[in-house]
Amino acid sequence: MNGFGPGRWKWVALILALGFLGIQFIRPALPNKPVTAELQVPPDVKQILKTSCYNCHSNETRLSWFDKPAPAYWIVSNHVKEGRKHLNFSEIGSLPLAQQQGVLFESISQIELGAMPLPAYERLHPESEITPQQLTVLKNYLNSAVSNRVVTAEEIGSADAEYEKWVHSPSLAKEVSPAPNGIGFLPDYKNWRAISSTERDDNHTMRVILGNDIAVNAIAHNQINPWPDGTAFAKVAWLQQLDGTGAIRTGAFFQVEFMMRDNKKYADTLGWGFARWRGADLKPYGKDATFTGECVGCHIALSKTDYVFTAPIGGQQ
Amino acid sequence: MRLQMANIFLNGFVFGIVFALFGCGGEKPKVFASLNQTASLMGDLPANPLAWSVITSSASRNDSTMSTLYGNDVASQYARTNPDHKYPNGSALSLVTWTQQEDSRWFGAKIPATVKSVEFVLVSSAAGSPSYSYQKFEGTPLKRSSAEEYRVPADRAAELLSQRGAVLP
Repeated sequence: MNGFGPGRWKWVALILALGFLGIQFIRPALPNKPVTAELQVPPDVKQILKTSCYNCHSNETRLSWFDKPAPAYWIVSNHVKEGRKHLNFSEIGSLPLAQQQGVLFESISQIELGAMPLPAYERLHPESEITPQQLTVLKNYLNSAVSNRVVTAEEIGSADAEYEKWVHSPSLAKEVSPAPNGIGFLPDYKNWRAISSTERDDNHTMRVILGNDIAVNAIAHNQINPWPDGTAFAKVAWLQQLDGTGAIRTGAFFQVEFMMRDNKKYADTLGWGFARWRGADLKPYGKDATFTGECVGCHIALSKTDYVFTAPIGGQQ
Repeated sequence: MRLQMANIFLNGFVFGIVFALFGCGGEKPKVFASLNQTASLMGDLPANPLAWSVITSSASRNDSTMSTLYGNDVASQYARTNPDHKYPNGSALSLVTWTQQEDSRWFGAKIPATVKSVEFVLVSSAAGSPSYSYQKFEGTPLKRSSAEEYRVPADRAAELLSQRGAVLP
């Protein structure tokens, strides 16, 4: 064997060049649809979103020259399509205001956790980096948008009615439909141990996070990364009832969400089975099994904590 | 979902090669899988409320605190099935109050920071007449700061006993 001579290298280079030219003809379309309902925010906030987020999260995508040749184009156009699906600043205005705000709060968390802008994208597009100063601008805007609305008599009335109904028939055997991904409701969650609580001012809820025996045992032995198979959490949320003295009580039941660890069964969703039931009548959340995309969309930012938002308080045993 | 994950990995792989050539970007704030150590209950308590069931939770904007009301089996079962507040013999309730901190994993959320106080009310009944024993623990480690006995619950004991169970369907 003589190995590759100079002549052969020329051939290799030529084939590679032809291949590169050839793949340029494979171009999935990436049209900019019209801007129908753009997010309404102050100019300084909008400028940050435009520079750092709009390329993948709006209908005003502007690709850099180095994003245009394939295969880079394939990756970037895929990012943009996925990005728009999760959050599109050109169309978000059609959602109810509270829901828009929820999305913005979630976005801040994604930025703080380093999940957004996508680290890979940010390294090639350094202008998209959100500086600490810019993050402060975004946070201040959202904090100022949070209302300290005192509970109305009507809201108290309907929460009271819900309580009366529940307290007189809490264990009434009712048929709870499974979540669209097949996960069944676990009525015993209410007897699990509390491992933490959260007060969310962005969506005005109070939450208690409960863990089953396996979770509590894992906490006792500080084996929480990864959490063992069989771990289950229930996050219960109630609407806040804020009164004129600044006291917050739990109002109407909002939802209960579950995370169940089974690495094999739920390999497609970060090793966790996600399910959520809304309202005191426990209506399963999600039109079909793809609802878990929403769960993964947020939890994936927490790869360092086994995709769990709660930092548990120890000492349940 | 499988497709989406595959895309993420493919993208990560291709970009990974590019970054191996061009180096890394700035440092991001880090989040670790750890227990919330400062929020745990430290000190000698007559019982461990964290081993009980949740009755309800509350918060105070002015004090920047959040509380969870726990009950032993007797108390939590009672609170979930009775709109009255005449807890039976053997009921034990405990209100744990924490100062708050910003949740580093979710902007807009507050989570427990340090324990401010742990209060207990024990209901016992002798010869048909109930009595209510109230105790409060504060400080690090937690030390008993007050103890009261009531025939008719008053003050903080009455406040704990009057909290309504949160709806848990």
